[in-house]
Amino acid sequence: MHSENQKHDFEPKIIAFVCTWCTYAGADLAGTSRMQYPSNVRVLKFPCTGRIDPVFILKAFQQGADGVLVSGCHPGDCHYIAGNFHARRRFAAFRKLLEFIGVDLGRLAFSWVSAAEGGKWVEVVTDLTEKVRAMGPMVEFKDLALEEQWSGVINTPELQEAYDAI
Amino acid sequence: MPLTSQPIDTSIYATITAAIRSEASRLFTAAEVVAIIGYAAARRVGSAQPVIITDAAAAETLIFTEACVNNLAVYLTKAKKEIPKKGKIGIIVKGCDLKALVGLMGESQLKREDLYLIGIPCAGVLASAVQPATTLTTETIASKCCECDVHLPLGCDFVPSVTLPPGPQMESRYSEEIARLEALTPAERWAYWKEQFAKCIKCYACRQICPFCFCEQCLCDRNKPQMVETTPRPAGNTAWHIVRAMHLAGRCAGCAECERVCPMDIPLNLLNRKMAKELKELYDYEAGFEINDKGPLTMFTEKDDQSFIK
Repeated sequence: MHSENQKHDFEPKIIAFVCTWCTYAGADLAGTSRMQYPSNVRVLKFPCTGRIDPVFILKAFQQGADGVLVSGCHPGDCHYIAGNFHARRRFAAFRKLLEFIGVDLGRLAFSWVSAAEGGKWVEVVTDLTEKVRAMGPMVEFKDLALEEQWSGVINTPELQEAYDAI
Repeated sequence: MPLTSQPIDTSIYATITAAIRSEASRLFTAAEVVAIIGYAAARRVGSAQPVIITDAAAAETLIFTEACVNNLAVYLTKAKKEIPKKGKIGIIVKGCDLKALVGLMGESQLKREDLYLIGIPCAGVLASAVQPATTLTTETIASKCCECDVHLPLGCDFVPSVTLPPGPQMESRYSEEIARLEALTPAERWAYWKEQFAKCIKCYACRQICPFCFCEQCLCDRNKPQMVETTPRPAGNTAWHIVRAMHLAGRCAGCAECERVCPMDIPLNLLNRKMAKELKELYDYEAGFEINDKGPLTMFTEKDDQSFIK
């Protein structure tokens, strides 16, 4: 497998928010089965996809993530009965909002990976990593985070008039 | 889009004012309510301000004009714990305000039996940028009124009996702007919103005025862990506006008060309208006059769309 460890110019940072009951166990299975998947992914374990607040995704992007993956149990398999159903609606709405703000949705992936689907986990992570690698670094939120101060442009005609009158 | 501005007939507002005055006076005399939240004339000619009156003598101060822009529902969320203690509260509501009240009842913030609703058949109110005492025209009207489909509030305890004159055809400002932004590339949209959010001074007026922002502690004020930066830097501003739009998704009644009070003229209601449009398409949900105890994002069906999930 070492022959596949080629060097890339850009290694994306992928944050994966996963449910502890399914995807985390699925990722564990991938590991114990000695499957290879990109080390770009950082896994964060949550009790349920229903616990994953959209603000976590924002925070991840602000802190330098190039891609975010949210993964949990298949519909009907939720340990808490309905957490993933709620998450499904919430993220459907959140995607639309991010799209409207101007975030490229290619950087954001959602998947259902059960505890038995180590192979699917490898596939999902590899796909997202390669996609984000091709897209290059996520600069939008990082640029914002680097701006040190308020940067509004005040150029309304009323203000200009008031300024000229001083 | 009309090329010239056309006047909007607001002659019914005088009749409405007389009707709400006599109704308020009757309510206090019959001791049906302990207070009425309404509008009264403010100091500048033609302007109006929210007022809470507690006796029949003050009923004569109530007015309804095109300057009565505020959504009075916000006074009830802040005072909701006091209501059952003192008695019924009367409130003057336009159609858009009633939708917000109905949303609050659905979220168990208010009880219908604690309120006496005085509905206003509304032809429209003035935009926030124009001076009071301006005539209401298709140009000076608030953007939310251009796309209003709730001129007549339903399910109120009292509605003045007037006939709304048919209004002129108006441009759909929000729909047109949303369509314009949707047609741009993601990078162009990001540039647009970056410029808009950069103006934000984090005064939180949008949160204070919003009937639905009733959390006792806002997520955005917490600092352990700090989810949203509190300083008015671009990063914190963007996060705040995304979180605000997300928390209002499926709840916002479209009263556009956030946009009206924004001192930096950020088009906040555009985000709310966009989310309302998406939720209508996804889950066929719209804010209305029917009390639902579950919103689109607090319920689910097993057949919800999951085409975006692998």
